[in-house]
Amino acid sequence: MPKTLSALALALWLVLGIALAQPTPAGTSIANQASASYVDSAGQPRTTTSNQVITVVQQVYSLTITPNGTQTSPGQTRTALAGATVYFAYTVSNTGNGTDSVALSTLQDSTTDNFDPTGVTIYRDNNCNGALDAGETPVTSLSLARQGASGSSACVVVAATIPGGTPGGQYANLNLVGTSSGGPSDSDNWARATATTAAALTASKSASPSGAVSPGGTITYTIFGQNTGGSAASGVSVSGLGTGILVRDTIPNGLVVSTLPTGSAGAGTVQIVYTTDGSTWQPLASSNLPLTGNGTVAVGMFIGGSGAFFPQGASYTFSFQATVPNGAAQGTSYTNTAAVQYNNGSQNQTQATNSTTSTVGAAYNVAVGPFGFPAAGASGTYTAGGYTITRSGDTQSIASAYNGQTLFFYHTLRNTGNTPDSFTLSVSGAPTGWSCGFRHADHITPISGPVGPIAPGSDFNFDLVCAVPATYTGSTAVNLTVTATSTNDSSKTDTTQDTVAQVVSGYSVDFARLGTGGDGNPANDNPPAASANPGGAVSFPLEVVNTGVNPDSFNLSAPTLPSGWSVAFYPDANCDGAMDSPTPSPITNTGLVNPGVANKRCYIAVVQIPTGTAPGNNPISFRVDSATDADANTPGIQPVSSDVVSTAINVNLVTGFAFDPDRSGTVTSPGTITYTHNLVNTGNAQATVSIPAVTSAYGWTYQLSTDGSTWSASLSGIAVPSGGSVPVYVRVQVPGGQPIGRSESVTLTANATYPGGGAASDTATVTTTIVGGELSLTKSAVSYVGSSSTVRHPSGAEAFPGDHIVYTVVASNIGTGNLTNVRVSDPLPAYTSFVSVSAAVSGFTGAVTVLYSTNGTSWNATAPSSLPAGSSLYVGVDTDGNGTIDSNDTMPPGASLTLTLRVQVQ
Amino acid sequence: MHPFHWFAAALLLLGSALAQGREEVRLELKAFLVTSLQQEGRTVERLLPALEARPGQVIEYRLEATNTTDRPLSQVALVVPIPTTTRYLENSAQALQREGWVLPEFSFDGGQTYGRPPLKRVVRVVENGKEVRKEVEVKPEEYTHARWVIPQLGPKESVSLRLRAVVR
Repeated sequence: MPKTLSALALALWLVLGIALAQPTPAGTSIANQASASYVDSAGQPRTTTSNQVITVVQQVYSLTITPNGTQTSPGQTRTALAGATVYFAYTVSNTGNGTDSVALSTLQDSTTDNFDPTGVTIYRDNNCNGALDAGETPVTSLSLARQGASGSSACVVVAATIPGGTPGGQYANLNLVGTSSGGPSDSDNWARATATTAAALTASKSASPSGAVSPGGTITYTIFGQNTGGSAASGVSVSGLGTGILVRDTIPNGLVVSTLPTGSAGAGTVQIVYTTDGSTWQPLASSNLPLTGNGTVAVGMFIGGSGAFFPQGASYTFSFQATVPNGAAQGTSYTNTAAVQYNNGSQNQTQATNSTTSTVGAAYNVAVGPFGFPAAGASGTYTAGGYTITRSGDTQSIASAYNGQTLFFYHTLRNTGNTPDSFTLSVSGAPTGWSCGFRHADHITPISGPVGPIAPGSDFNFDLVCAVPATYTGSTAVNLTVTATSTNDSSKTDTTQDTVAQVVSGYSVDFARLGTGGDGNPANDNPPAASANPGGAVSFPLEVVNTGVNPDSFNLSAPTLPSGWSVAFYPDANCDGAMDSPTPSPITNTGLVNPGVANKRCYIAVVQIPTGTAPGNNPISFRVDSATDADANTPGIQPVSSDVVSTAINVNLVTGFAFDPDRSGTVTSPGTITYTHNLVNTGNAQATVSIPAVTSAYGWTYQLSTDGSTWSASLSGIAVPSGGSVPVYVRVQVPGGQPIGRSESVTLTANATYPGGGAASDTATVTTTIVGGELSLTKSAVSYVGSSSTVRHPSGAEAFPGDHIVYTVVASNIGTGNLTNVRVSDPLPAYTSFVSVSAAVSGFTGAVTVLYSTNGTSWNATAPSSLPAGSSLYVGVDTDGNGTIDSNDTMPPGASLTLTLRVQVQ
Repeated sequence: MHPFHWFAAALLLLGSALAQGREEVRLELKAFLVTSLQQEGRTVERLLPALEARPGQVIEYRLEATNTTDRPLSQVALVVPIPTTTRYLENSAQALQREGWVLPEFSFDGGQTYGRPPLKRVVRVVENGKEVRKEVEVKPEEYTHARWVIPQLGPKESVSLRLRAVVR
């Protein structure tokens, strides 16, 4: 509502007051929705709305019939000769808020009058001229529209005949009664019919059009009558004109007569006249026009004549046109009654016509424009939603807007029709993804459905509100066309245009090492590189600064990270770069971050390096990306804002190397024994190993091999991968003639070198003793994948938990004489579980039995099914059949006993 | 490292969700039809759900506002519009008693400006051929909105407001 109103607007306001007095139409929905604005705990302004409540308006019934009258003071009187028919004119109006059916009836006066008229009939007076015209039919009820709508009232005439022979001067009273279908009735509408023998001029009036008139339209009034009395009529003295019969009509207030009236009469001299003071008349000429009705100005027809010059049956007609003001409000009524003045031979008479009521019909129209300028012609600026809105003509514009924000354009709509009207609002031109709607002038409450009803000439302020999606930017102007459409006449529309010249991103983020975020210097954002050992962790203090204009939340990730590495982001509440205590839970999203350096969030990115990681430089990058758009985490789709910092972790070289185990064995002279060792690389890079040759003090030969088939005095270039192992076989060849009991220990040294200069070494000792017996004992191992037959390692150098290892111990009599009491034992290795054992013999003669023992004392021909940890298994060959292994049991030359022990790695 | 922006027009809007916030204040509006009946010689009022009403009948609007959060909210402005097909019933908007009184304010310009009665508007009229500015009082039936501004609404706290309007 403008803070000031012009006089015209005030006048319209007053008219509006009349118009709004009309009851709300039945069926109208009264919708209401509350709203709230507040400041949340984070200091952010917020709004919200309630549910909508709706109340439907019900119908009320009400009617009026005019003119009113009582039996003693009738509303209208008609005089005629006995035997003639008189006509009473009425207007029936529905003053309720819904369509109604009004039943009509007449009531005779049985107490206060002289006679009852006959032939009483109610006719619909279609043209409202107060007379019965051809084609007008009797009615007993009327269907009327609600008050304020076209067709809310209707005219009727009640015909009544004065019985023949009725003496002059006697009268009859007649009442028209109307009853609403909803109950109320109107019954104070008495009229009177009087019998006479003197002159009696009737007077009727019609208005054309008889129904609604339009603003600026013309009403043609016609007054006509006849001498229905028993004598000729005479004139009356009219000031300014002389003696004659005067037909007069006061111009309704506001109507304008611009053309000369016309008229004719069955006798006398006709003259068109007018008065400006209501008493003195003068001839009307074109130069006197226009005449505007003010309650006093009247036009008329003067029928000049002397004596009783207007005979029985003579008639007259007078007609003029009046124009309705352009700004007339719908529902404005122009009620008019004319009269004829004459002398009936004994006294002056004034016979009034029926009243005509012309009501201004509805004219719908609308204007919508920039705030404060519904009819365009706008200028100046205002601020809405944080933006400056520039008005020009019928357009408004924002020079540049940020995405992710809500834009407001204030508007003013004016009902330029002449009746209360409601209007639908629509907007077009919004790009895909924009969400546009309308709100009330409180900038909070959404508008749903039409707005109004709005009084004619009144303004309604509203907002076009558009949420610009976070993903939208563009330098092409967005033109939003707002359209207002009358709900009563959809052809009446108006548009105004809102323009957003460009949309730039409201999202931006700076991700940097601690202390450098948001400083505008991207060169210092990257954290310095760090060094660490495999299995270690590196912390990078970082900070996130929202450098956009919209609050935003960000996802944290490390797009560049070696395989197998992991990273976790820990909030650093006090931004000191040190892990908070207690250690907070790691996060993957920052939560909402308000714009500005003051609202920065700090984090510590902890990168975990797997054990065994190879030495070297590893590029690392950390990233924040806006979580505002739904696809922020979809690969290939970029978020509305993001930032990356890069650094590196240099993994140190770790050397670790073992050459195990020490071995010892016996050998005959001459004889050969082979030991098995392993080179194990526990460093984080491949080791290149060499084993120099060793020299025997006794002329023994030491040979080395990595495959058990190719032997050499020394080894070099053995590649042992990080975490891997390589078997090394040491073969000792003892020449003949060595004394029994001679023993030699030699230390083999394995030297490992690593890329980049690292080195490590380890030794393994082999101790060989010359024995006199001829029992040769060899042991070998094979590891298998699980319990399958797939070989894990041919020498058993590598096995995983659950793998099986099969140890094979072969005892052979390599001498030339029998050996006695031969027992072969093999301990159950630590960290293994017994699976099975078996033994086989060859070279024995006669019946022999393999006996098993778990303690070396008690023997059994059945292999044990279990073996406790830490114990050993014993096998012997019972050759004398006494069930035990003793000195009577012999192993002939060339015979052998093979023990096969299967265990499972724990 | 330069911060950079990515624009992907096909992405969907979420920004408005950030701007709109969550339902931290729950508003429940109810409409009651005010009827009168005689009980023991006295006229008493009875309130019924206002699903229907006739011109001239009185509707009471009740608004219950609840802070659903665990934190206090400040400057909570609760607005109840007065539908254009009704007129505000003078003195029916009740003050809210808290630590101090929260008095209702009214708007006659569609909720743009608020004040406490009597509201005034300036009009230009022509008197003796000269245009003069006059301040006139705005009638309650011209009010378009009522508002209560609560300085602080505590955690989980609720307030209830009411006003009455007559169906035109």
